Amino acid sequence: MSDMHPPILEGIDLKKTYKLGRASVPVLHGASLLIHAAQWTTILGSSGSGKSTLLHLLGGLDRPDKDGGEVFFNGDSVWKKSNRQINNYRNNDVGFVFQFYHLLPELTVLENTVLPTMIGGSYTTKKEAKDKAESLLDQFGLTPRLTHRPRELSGGERQRVAIARALVNNPSVLLADEPTGNLDEETGNGILDVLSELHQQGLTIVMVTHNIEIAHRGDVVVQLRGGHIVENTNRVIST
Amino acid sequence: MYQTLLTSRYLTSRVIPLIAVAAVALCVALVIVVVSVMTGFLNMVQASGQTLMGDVIISNGISGIPHYERLANRLSENPQIHAATPIVDGWGLLRMPYPDAKSKQSETVQVWGIDPESFAKVTSFEDSLHWKNPTDNQRDWLLFDAISQNEDSIRPLMDATKWNAFVEIVNSASRSLNFGEVHLWEDVHTLLDDTQWNSLLAFDSRLSTPDALQTQGLSLSRNGKPGIILGLHVSDGNSRQRDGSYDVNRNDYWWMPRFEGTLTMLPVDAEGGTIEPESIIMPFVNEFQSGLFMIDESRIFVPIEVAQTLLHLDEATIVDLDDPTQIIGVDPARTTSILVRGTAGIHADELREIVAGIYDTFVSATPIDTLVYPPSRHEPGLTINTWEAQQASFTGPVEKERELMRTLFSIVYLVVAALILSIFWSIVFEKTRDIGILRSIGSSRASIVWIFLQYSAVIGIVGSLLGLLIGWVITKNINAIHAGMGNPPISIAVISFALAAGIGVYTIIKSRLGQMLPIVLGTLGCITLGGIGGLILFVREMGGLVVWDASVYYFSQIPNELDWGSSIFTVCGAILFCLLGALIPAAKAADTDPVKALRHE
Repeated sequence: MSDMHPPILEGIDLKKTYKLGRASVPVLHGASLLIHAAQWTTILGSSGSGKSTLLHLLGGLDRPDKDGGEVFFNGDSVWKKSNRQINNYRNNDVGFVFQFYHLLPELTVLENTVLPTMIGGSYTTKKEAKDKAESLLDQFGLTPRLTHRPRELSGGERQRVAIARALVNNPSVLLADEPTGNLDEETGNGILDVLSELHQQGLTIVMVTHNIEIAHRGDVVVQLRGGHIVENTNRVIST
Repeated sequence: MYQTLLTSRYLTSRVIPLIAVAAVALCVALVIVVVSVMTGFLNMVQASGQTLMGDVIISNGISGIPHYERLANRLSENPQIHAATPIVDGWGLLRMPYPDAKSKQSETVQVWGIDPESFAKVTSFEDSLHWKNPTDNQRDWLLFDAISQNEDSIRPLMDATKWNAFVEIVNSASRSLNFGEVHLWEDVHTLLDDTQWNSLLAFDSRLSTPDALQTQGLSLSRNGKPGIILGLHVSDGNSRQRDGSYDVNRNDYWWMPRFEGTLTMLPVDAEGGTIEPESIIMPFVNEFQSGLFMIDESRIFVPIEVAQTLLHLDEATIVDLDDPTQIIGVDPARTTSILVRGTAGIHADELREIVAGIYDTFVSATPIDTLVYPPSRHEPGLTINTWEAQQASFTGPVEKERELMRTLFSIVYLVVAALILSIFWSIVFEKTRDIGILRSIGSSRASIVWIFLQYSAVIGIVGSLLGLLIGWVITKNINAIHAGMGNPPISIAVISFALAAGIGVYTIIKSRLGQMLPIVLGTLGCITLGGIGGLILFVREMGGLVVWDASVYYFSQIPNELDWGSSIFTVCGAILFCLLGALIPAAKAADTDPVKALRHE
């Protein structure tokens, strides 16, 4: 780990238990990890290992148990923020990409992409935000699709729209939950290439996958088993 | 604002908002129509009461009020009183001209002896007269009557040849006049010279003066003889048509202004015992329609003097009981009631106090040597009431009925609210995943609620206003709709059957592809349209559907005024329920964990 890449996101002793009816199902048993800026970290684990939950806790989507550890973003405890600050964290500081794309079906490609800038974001004019969205979509080869609805797109196209949406507010970290899980191999590789390219441009990425091959696209692979981090492989020797 | 963008997309890209708008509109229209008709009904009952009996009524039962002219004058002099009119009110038997046989039918009637001139000032008597000008057919009947009743006087007017031709015309007319239009008037006019024609017309002033029916009605006399004005439903000769107009049976044969009747009343003597009934034969002058069926079926108007005579309320001499030849004074004519109308803007209760004051001064100003004193206001029997109190026994049940309707309708309101709530519940439930997405990209809970609040506000406002429009159109045209139900046009049945057949063929073609939805929709459409057509044929076969029967309800027309107060209340209520209906599930959805909401399918 290099001094050039300061820590940006840190999870300390994260615990999460879900309640299913009367039964309590512990998912995370105290997972800690450190994410450095400009690194591509992949979280590898089989289904039920708690890898998605870990990502949700990091991204401010789900709250850890009481006394279940803390998430620090740039040194601030995420879950000690006010609701308003957490909304702003989700909107501005991190960007989420989901396995099932999660685009709004009634909005066009461009509107879906611009949506986070309308909710919050750092743009002063609508034009600025729209330009940013259009340049991202252009970067992903979606310019001919701007006015289409999500249902008119292929899976790969949808996921690229989702990545554009996640990036439109210039987040510090991109959180991707099995981004290729719903795609065939070829399309999935296309998406991974997009992420690689973004990573090379300096984007911090945290990606969850169950596929060991895909996991190794990252700089760092964190292996999760039964709610514990069992292995933390730093593949990259930083210069 | 992205909330507005989302709201407008949710509204325009789906069918469910249209269904919700339709549901809200229909609920609002339903409530508005029923409440409007019910309120209009009560208003009509009350308003007709006022136009029929003035604002305040002084009455003293069958023993009557003596010196009533002085009281009426005193009342009329008050600047706050528009007019006062005496009424002699009693029950009688009226022997009708029908049937066309020896034994005639008698109707029980409520006789009002009126002074037509002042009565017209207090009530809407003039407007209520039904026959304004005779129709051509009625004029033929009047001419026919004039000829047949005055044969002996007409014979010397012309030579034998003309007489034969004249008799031929009249005889042929008399045979067909019962069934259809003849041209008796024109035929006779052509045959006779001007002198002969004018002498013929002179037998009945209604022949020469077209509006004599109305002017005679207003003076309660036919060709100079005091007469009777009947409520339109007293005579069985009039039959109400579905559209609310009236036809006279047997092609105007049983048109009452042609006939006369015998009125019998039972007078009561000073001790309260009955005296020998009195009868009088009087011509029928006209008929009136108050709109209030209960009154139209039983009330008749006669000149006040006639009623006084029949009831022995007219002026009489008082004789010494020991020596009946010795006249010791005069018992003045009496009236049973006095109707008072206030000037515009004065409230009935206020007027009642004024009238009571005038009555007291009238009693105390009676000269001491008067033999017959008017009753004091504190005597039992004498009442001074507002029209509202006077007809409380009649409006009371209607008012209770309206209260009952209101209670029942508060349940309907709840049903409507539950319906709206469930529609929005399902809309928001269906959008739970979208809510999760929005939360994951940073939307606050409040802005999620705001999206659905805007959504429901649009549906609520559009739906309620549409409902108001539908309600307004239905209420305004309710009589036409009722008439249509009474006699549904065959063309609608034909169109329904044609459409049903078309859809049937289309469904059969589509069903060969094996898809279910076209089969289900096609079959339903076919059954519905076929059912409508069949229903129309059935209703026509049954002779039409009469929901509003004038003999059950008191009015000949269904009230068709929108009750704006209730309508606006309903519209606001519906909008409020839409907002609440969306607010609760939206708040619930906004509180759901984003992760759980995202997993929602």
